[in-house]
Amino acid sequence: MKYDKWMLFVTILLIGFGALMIYSSTSVITPVLAKKNVTEFYYFKRHIFTMLIGFGIMFFAYRLKLSTIKKMAVPLLIFSFVLLILVFVPGIGVSANNARRWIRLWPSTFQPSELVKLSMVIFLAKYMSMLGYRTDSLVSFIKPVLVMAVFQVVFLKQPDFGSVISLTLLTFIMLFLSGIRLRYLAYLLVLALPVIYKLIMEPYRLKRVMAFLDPWKDPQGSGFQLVQSFIALGSGGLTGVGLGKSRQKLAFLPESHTDFIFSLIGEELGFIGVLVVITLFLFLFIKGISIANRSRDRFVYYLAFGLSLMISLQTLINFAVATGMVPTKGLPLPFISYGGSSLFVNMAAIGILLNISRGEENRKIADINQELIVRRKARRIIYGIRN
Amino acid sequence: MNKKRAIILNTVIIFSFFAVFLRLTDLMILNHKRLSERARVQHIKVEDIQVRRGIIFDRRGREMAVNLELESLYCDPESLIIDDVGIKKLSMTIGRKAEVILSKMPQEGRFAWIERKLDSDVAGKVRRLDIKGLGFLPEAKRFYPKGQLASHILGFVGVDNQALEGIELEYDEYLKTTGGKILFFRDASGKVLSSGVDIEAKGNNIVLTIDEGLQYLVESELEKAMLKWRASAASAIMMDPFTGEILAFANIPAYDPNNPMRVSGFERRNRAITDCYEPGSIFKIIVGTAALEEKIVDLNTKFDCSRGGIEVGGKVIHDAHRHGVLTFKEVIQKSSNVGSAMIGMKLGKERVYKYAKLFGFGEKTEIDLPGEVSGWIHPPEKWSGTSIGAISIGQEVAVTPLQMLRAYSAIANGGFLVKPHVVSEIRLPEGQVLVSFRGHEKKRAISTETAETFKDILKTVAEEGGTGHSASVKGNQVAGKTGTAQVIDPKTGRYSKEKYVSSFVGFVPADNPKMALMIVIYEPKGQIYGGVVAAPVFKEIANQALSYLNVPREDNPNKNFILVSR
Repeated sequence: MKYDKWMLFVTILLIGFGALMIYSSTSVITPVLAKKNVTEFYYFKRHIFTMLIGFGIMFFAYRLKLSTIKKMAVPLLIFSFVLLILVFVPGIGVSANNARRWIRLWPSTFQPSELVKLSMVIFLAKYMSMLGYRTDSLVSFIKPVLVMAVFQVVFLKQPDFGSVISLTLLTFIMLFLSGIRLRYLAYLLVLALPVIYKLIMEPYRLKRVMAFLDPWKDPQGSGFQLVQSFIALGSGGLTGVGLGKSRQKLAFLPESHTDFIFSLIGEELGFIGVLVVITLFLFLFIKGISIANRSRDRFVYYLAFGLSLMISLQTLINFAVATGMVPTKGLPLPFISYGGSSLFVNMAAIGILLNISRGEENRKIADINQELIVRRKARRIIYGIRN
Repeated sequence: MNKKRAIILNTVIIFSFFAVFLRLTDLMILNHKRLSERARVQHIKVEDIQVRRGIIFDRRGREMAVNLELESLYCDPESLIIDDVGIKKLSMTIGRKAEVILSKMPQEGRFAWIERKLDSDVAGKVRRLDIKGLGFLPEAKRFYPKGQLASHILGFVGVDNQALEGIELEYDEYLKTTGGKILFFRDASGKVLSSGVDIEAKGNNIVLTIDEGLQYLVESELEKAMLKWRASAASAIMMDPFTGEILAFANIPAYDPNNPMRVSGFERRNRAITDCYEPGSIFKIIVGTAALEEKIVDLNTKFDCSRGGIEVGGKVIHDAHRHGVLTFKEVIQKSSNVGSAMIGMKLGKERVYKYAKLFGFGEKTEIDLPGEVSGWIHPPEKWSGTSIGAISIGQEVAVTPLQMLRAYSAIANGGFLVKPHVVSEIRLPEGQVLVSFRGHEKKRAISTETAETFKDILKTVAEEGGTGHSASVKGNQVAGKTGTAQVIDPKTGRYSKEKYVSSFVGFVPADNPKMALMIVIYEPKGQIYGGVVAAPVFKEIANQALSYLNVPREDNPNKNFILVSR
């Protein structure tokens, strides 16, 4: 029972810090919030509740047998697909800002796209560890890409371009990791170019891209979010304006408790504050990779690597959006942003990583695999099959 | 499991974290200044309001200019809800016509004044009307509790408390240094989230060299004299001859700085420094001291003035009364024009000009009040044939009363030209001294010996037989000089027969001067001579001022002791 205590510690640190920043962001009743009849502790209380559930999920994932996770990979993928489809069912699906991304889940809502990322990682880890998976086979490459494409279609229908991007990145990076021929990735990229072009030429997306390229051109319109994020970060300076003293959160910085919470941290706690946050996430990534490297089993290795990537990719995209390095895309910052779906999924990921770090199951599953490989080899020898 | 790919991937991810770090360095450290300025601009809208100007005190700490806390009514047009009844009520409460009030309420914007500087009870009544969209901001109104006392020193401010005259203007930066501002915190839509007035912002206080008691004395005596002689105006300056500290400084007519616009520019003129005039006989200090300093005369050098006139460059200079043969001392004492012209000619152009410059004529005294003029004295190469005579007796030059007083102070203090000033200290609102003007700048004009000799002559002026005898004060010796100057009539370009300026300048007690005092009476009617018109004013003021300052009287020392008999 020796799990990675440092990983747990850093995770709790990030979650606790997130709760603090959410309180800072939402405790001030801005005119926007006042209209919703929201009180000082409304968001904070809800977040604490979400956190408690999150810890339950994390513990559950930690206790789960890795073999069970492997077995459940495909059913979980189908389950998340069903949830994703439910978004379109009236009465269950919830729409906001012209997008159907959520399903009703008393007392709140859930965003299935977050679960899709987790299921995809587990699925890919299982798929890539299968004996039939071959890195030089186009068929082996096409299959997961098709699975991914099915999800993409639904995402685009919602529409949820952010999930399209992160799922694509996650899938390709994992396939890349498995050692798939780079040629295949290149082919797909060439084939996808017209589609990507068409998607980007969508007027509102184009506007976002333009705003990203030069946010100061229209600081009151399309560049508003980015400019406000810059102002928040920039006015923080080295040490920040002080915890709770952000002025940007007073309705200047949109989504200061969700997608742009990083900018709020920058404003209130300064360069030192954001540096600490970046370091903690980097630490989490390195810990995850070292857990992966310690595993003796392909599935466990891919699973640990994939989950670390999932968390880090979301983190990096969020950082990059807040600092204007990539076009604005609504993605929460893992563990810190307000919102249950992201927190549940990322805490489940940490739970699985801690689970792997124990090593016991790891060994067991490796033994089983070894046995399987031995049997197959024996069979091959017996029946004279060569590959 | 492809180890190489894993290493590449890890490198890329870690590099990405590093890229974020670099980008943040750029945004948060390198662009910190620019972005926080932008943040400040969008968060805070600063509206200048009335500065709590510093308080002005006299030299004994008596308040000369203070602030009254009043309230100003404004409206926020966007949230304003008012009907006809409300307007009517408001109009009744603040005493303005409904149309006037309506015209001050714009359709758009977030801020407009409706009525400035209301008393607190009126403000309270308006509050009780409970009209949405109206608000109050505290404003300070400058108040001069002493009314027109020292008005030309203090100056005044406008409706927005902007400095317009006097000390208020000259020391404006100090008086409003910390400034006063309203801060509005705005959200993205420009709505005002909160506002706060920096009430604590106060300017620095100023301590004058003026003594309120002496100022009052000078002003009231000057006013009496003006009525008596039906003069057009009068000025008086009292200065400590050793330090240049102005103790009293008055011009009549004066005005009430609380209502400065009620009078015309004539009343507001600070003529003691902004008007120059031909000084006449009191300018004989130049030829007198120059002759002594250059040792071309002694006290007993004789001048034959028996002809009653002398021709200089084709023009004849006359004496008012025919004198006989006068000694140098008598020339000054009796203010003989003929004798003075003779001395001037003996000195020559260059030396007369040199001494006029040494005494600071033709240059500003640099007093710390706005609007001072330098007067003029032409350089010798521009002098005509008659100039040497005219300048010797105080014509063809223009001086201000303050310049004249400074010249005579040099006689009082042993030959030094002091720098006149009216402010002794600038203090922080908490009371600590910020700037002190107590260090005294002085330049030597003439030798102490000459100053002492000339002082002895000036003493005789106020004695029996001198022109300024009526300036003598019982118990203290006065040293001074009378002056009666002709005024050039602008219509004819010649000296007017009716318009004169009578003056007396002197100091007392002569051997240990406590004050130098200059009296100028413009255009007196009936009498014109300085000895008759101005000298008695000097006497009155000096007499009372010496008592006020507890200066012992020489001939009656007992006066200053209380004898207790058993």
